[in-house]
Amino acid sequence: MRILKKLFAVIASILLSASISAAAQAPVSLNLQSDAKNPATPVMGDHMRFWSTISNTGSSPIEGLVAWISLVEIDPGNEQPVDLEDWSAHKAVTGASLKPGESLQTDWPMRLIKGGDYRVVVSVTDPGSNTVFTSPTLQFHVRQKSVLQAGRVLPVAAAIPLLICALMIFNKTTQRLRRERV
Amino acid sequence: MMNTTWTIARKEGAQMLRSQRGIIWLLTFSGLLSAFSLLLVSNTELSLLDNAQVVYMMAGTIMAAGALLAAILGSDAYAGEKERGTLVPLLCAPIAPNALLAGKILGLLIAWGVMFVTSVPYLWAVGASGQNLGPALFYLALFGTPVVLGFGYLAMALSAPTGSVMTSLLTTVTLLMLAASPLLIGPGLRGTVIGRALDAVNPFAGALNTFDSVIIDSEPFSVQTARLFLVIAWLVGCLILARRSAGRPDFQ
Repeated sequence: MRILKKLFAVIASILLSASISAAAQAPVSLNLQSDAKNPATPVMGDHMRFWSTISNTGSSPIEGLVAWISLVEIDPGNEQPVDLEDWSAHKAVTGASLKPGESLQTDWPMRLIKGGDYRVVVSVTDPGSNTVFTSPTLQFHVRQKSVLQAGRVLPVAAAIPLLICALMIFNKTTQRLRRERV
Repeated sequence: MMNTTWTIARKEGAQMLRSQRGIIWLLTFSGLLSAFSLLLVSNTELSLLDNAQVVYMMAGTIMAAGALLAAILGSDAYAGEKERGTLVPLLCAPIAPNALLAGKILGLLIAWGVMFVTSVPYLWAVGASGQNLGPALFYLALFGTPVVLGFGYLAMALSAPTGSVMTSLLTTVTLLMLAASPLLIGPGLRGTVIGRALDAVNPFAGALNTFDSVIIDSEPFSVQTARLFLVIAWLVGCLILARRSAGRPDFQ
């Protein structure tokens, strides 16, 4: 029984060390940096840009690389992934190929739509492996600013023309009544 | 003379709220502001604009609409009377040319006042949560009124001698489009030597620059004095032209 336990421990340690060395030899390295021109204290409506560098650190070429950017809101009580629909038109790079030792630098422009705390990360995968590699995350805060409030604009935009229409009807009715009296 | 002037002013001004033509103009004006406001809230890009920036844009649009109304009413003031056949009876009546001119311009002032009051809820809706809404209203009245009345006088100055609404209207509207071009041209183009020179003599640009300075940059009145002088000079220049033309209108 003891021999079996020792044998199991040895096999487990061999498997673990093999997986660790495999991770250490990940064929892709990924780096993410904020652009030097990004505002230090960004406000809603500002533009920001991030740069990712994807390198093939393995010994074989990588075909059909897919890289994409993700944004997560981390405000307490409001933690959620952000739909980048309004934030960025450049959400992914697809079909890129990297030979061993080659790198691919990509910029990720973004328009800051909403105030809050955010983390951005770039992920990469290729069709040949079932692994997703992720860059280090970058965190930033977007300051709120006073913008239009639809709740105030909509009633005014609807009510004023209606009031003028009412005035027009009132004038016509008054004029008709006057004519009838005469 | 005051009574005559006031009677003409009341008749002209009342057209804005009582006549079909005035109400339709007011409805068109409010429709323009409603469409502008709705565009601002429905477009993601535009909805991220500062409140102050939106108030500035809307103030410029209101002033342009006011100047357009002034061009229409001013063109109609003498040539319209001639085309309707009412100019000769008007000239035969015991009304001094200056009283007639003053009555016409006071009527235009009343119409501009109605437009201004109509635009206040819109400015409040887009700017209440931002900065400088009060100064925006004050400076729109202070700078917008001389610019609008100046275009009215200019149209009257063209309307009286030509006797043609079309000629006067086309000329004034073309000049208005030229003057209001800073609304469309970006600050980059206006930063050139020619752009700066045009800005220095264009009363419309002067008023717009004041709106920018006051609403967006929160600058004090002392910074606006040169521009105030420009718009008052515009008003006085157009008044002199109108007085000269109104003294001998074409009635044949």
